[in-house]
Amino acid sequence: MFQSGLHPYLAQLNAKWIARHPETAARALDRFAKAEQGSMLTLRWAAARVDAVERRAIYLEQALEEQRHAGLFSKRAAELRGQGETVAPVITDAEDLFARLGEIRFLAFLHRGERRAVVEFAYYRAAFERAGDRATAALFAEIVEEERNHQDYPLALITALSNDPKAAARAARFVTAWEAWRGFRRLGRFLAERCYNFCMWCLYPLLAPLCLWVRLVRPEPRGLVVTTEWQNRKSLEGKA
Amino acid sequence: MAAVLGISGLYHDAAAALVVDGVVVAAMQQERFSRVKNDAALPKDAAFACLKWGDLRPSDLDSVVYYEQPFQKLERILLSSLRGFPRSLRQFPRAIRSQLADKLWVLDSISELLDVPRSRVHAVGHHEAHAASAFFVSPYERAAVLTLDGVGEDITTAIWLGNGNTLTPVATTAWPQSLGLFYAAMTAWTGFSVLEGEYKLMGLSAWGTARYRERIDRVLRLQSTGEFELDLSYFDQFNDTELGFGKRLEQLLGPRRQPNAPWDLRVSEDQHYADVAATVQQVTEEAILGLARRAQRETGASNLCLAGGVALNALANARLAKESGFARIFVQPAAGDAGGALGAAILGSIVRGDARPEPLTTAALGLPAKAAEAVELAQQLGLSTRRLQDPASTTASLLSEGKVVAFVQGRFEFGPRALGQRSLLARPDSAETCTRLNAVVKERESFRPFAPSVLASACGTYFDMEPNDMTPFMTTVAVARNDAPHPLGAVVHRDGTSRLQTVTAKSASSLHAVLNGRLALGEAPVVLNTSLNGRGEPIVASASDAIAFLLSHQVDALVLEDVLVNKPL
Repeated sequence: MFQSGLHPYLAQLNAKWIARHPETAARALDRFAKAEQGSMLTLRWAAARVDAVERRAIYLEQALEEQRHAGLFSKRAAELRGQGETVAPVITDAEDLFARLGEIRFLAFLHRGERRAVVEFAYYRAAFERAGDRATAALFAEIVEEERNHQDYPLALITALSNDPKAAARAARFVTAWEAWRGFRRLGRFLAERCYNFCMWCLYPLLAPLCLWVRLVRPEPRGLVVTTEWQNRKSLEGKA
Repeated sequence: MAAVLGISGLYHDAAAALVVDGVVVAAMQQERFSRVKNDAALPKDAAFACLKWGDLRPSDLDSVVYYEQPFQKLERILLSSLRGFPRSLRQFPRAIRSQLADKLWVLDSISELLDVPRSRVHAVGHHEAHAASAFFVSPYERAAVLTLDGVGEDITTAIWLGNGNTLTPVATTAWPQSLGLFYAAMTAWTGFSVLEGEYKLMGLSAWGTARYRERIDRVLRLQSTGEFELDLSYFDQFNDTELGFGKRLEQLLGPRRQPNAPWDLRVSEDQHYADVAATVQQVTEEAILGLARRAQRETGASNLCLAGGVALNALANARLAKESGFARIFVQPAAGDAGGALGAAILGSIVRGDARPEPLTTAALGLPAKAAEAVELAQQLGLSTRRLQDPASTTASLLSEGKVVAFVQGRFEFGPRALGQRSLLARPDSAETCTRLNAVVKERESFRPFAPSVLASACGTYFDMEPNDMTPFMTTVAVARNDAPHPLGAVVHRDGTSRLQTVTAKSASSLHAVLNGRLALGEAPVVLNTSLNGRGEPIVASASDAIAFLLSHQVDALVLEDVLVNKPL
């Protein structure tokens, strides 16, 4: 139902590139770990917000699987780096898409994301297999299977929830447009950030005279400074 | 008579606290809702949860108080960047962007977030909020208050005199002279994450010998006046706020330890880090001790309250209790930035004429977990559930069988400690339990200790200490007795100490019942009590969180209120 656009081709190219060297592979796996951890958070929030206990259970189960995937990616990345078993917890952020999009569109988003993951991860599995890294290839194969299950149930849920066979298509169109808009805004933010940094670095040298003045007028304070309020109180007590 | 909501956030450990007519109604951290550890985002969920618990709407609030003065903070950042020219080149754009993007307008953001008029949103000083969070819920009428953290607006350390419902600032130390910066930088140097790894550094210190005193004294100089001075050439607070330390520190102590590399304290490289940790801990304790003695000299008070992130250093607190000369010491459980929300709310309440709150007897200020929800969800997920007649004695029996039990009772705790409301319980006797929990359940470094919870009335039998004002909140340590009637191998650290919690029916009634249940079985009224969370996760809050924890961790059972939940065999 959903077209993935350029993603499969980019993923194919990227997969070949990252599978070449353990460090590039580890970096990519760390990125995947963060993405999976982000999905976990999104699903946990969905589970916390949904009223129906059946769907809460579904979201919670998927959240735990995403968390497990994050752990597996992270562990393999550490192995590729020769760091052994100790793996840093995956720290990431996420968006509360359930609250932002509503349940139907959230499910459409979920389906779209999981389907993209299935396609991409299949390329990564093949690339690692070709590169002779069977352990990483097996990891992708295992995760792809679970992601395949995750991509199927949202469509059935959309139909069940909306009682409308066309609802899924409508939600899909919305989510596609929304994702494109989000991508555009992210690009804008990225460019604005670069512009801002450039402007600030240009401005910074101009602050030199002000810096000298600040050092003279407001030098760095040292030690424990007794407050005026306390000094006044003490002197009043002394007089009394 | 007023309803005041306190808010902390945008830096780390965002939280909300509700005080109504001088009573602390609720206090919760945002991380418990967002499931992002130490979540810094403005605590919308926590704020609305507090209001819901207090049966209030935002429009019922007389005042909303933020725990920091945004313009003073901006001033400090500008001054600090300008003083640090040209070393602040990298930090300057980031700091200004962060301030101008949201932090400067935080009072307006809070007004929008809660839909309360802007005129009702106020701010108090960061250290004043810390001081209030400790003193106004302490059992003391008059006390010296010491607040220590990384930095507030511009202050890093402050001495206050608390008297009745007033707080008077006595003396302050300004940024960048900061014990918080020192401890955080050393935490980063040891390969741990700042704001998360400070406990690990403290735990590691017991495995080392303080053999680097001469070197650490060059970094942090202590003076007989109680003051301290950091040699800033060892720090790089302008360029790297994540790490905080500079190249010179690595020249002095060796290279930073590789983060997340496995620990093996039999290896000399790792032992070196443990020795540095022991020295850092020793110097930190002496610095805090010096400040406490100075606070006593200045104020003449016989009691001391501590707050700020550094106040969570339980080893230092124990040393203060022994050596500072104060008769009594109080450290509330959320002494870090989350506690700032509580302090802000109390200050707002007192300004509006309310009395200060009653002394804090329990940290259970969050939301309860619903047993019915747990049953429904567990059944959906194929877990077996059973209603219990006597959850406490069932838990005690499970513990006797050597089981590890996730224990969820009542409202969740405020602060970083699990105090019997969202705890993972196990037998305290075997060191094997400790190894299993570290390796399999908590997936954390093997050198880290576990804490005991002990029946308050039996404290002196097992530990060389009677309950004090800190022990209900696990903010101090005690030496375990060699002549205790039962072994406590899982909860005694390498240095012979335990970060104990003394339990009464008032502080944690369900855990109290479990301890009595153990006593009835002829066992020690002590349990291993660690927080109910996985690695890198916040502590469990709701029934869903508890079920998720059970499903994803190798624990034997979940006792949630009166429901026993088991994984299918």
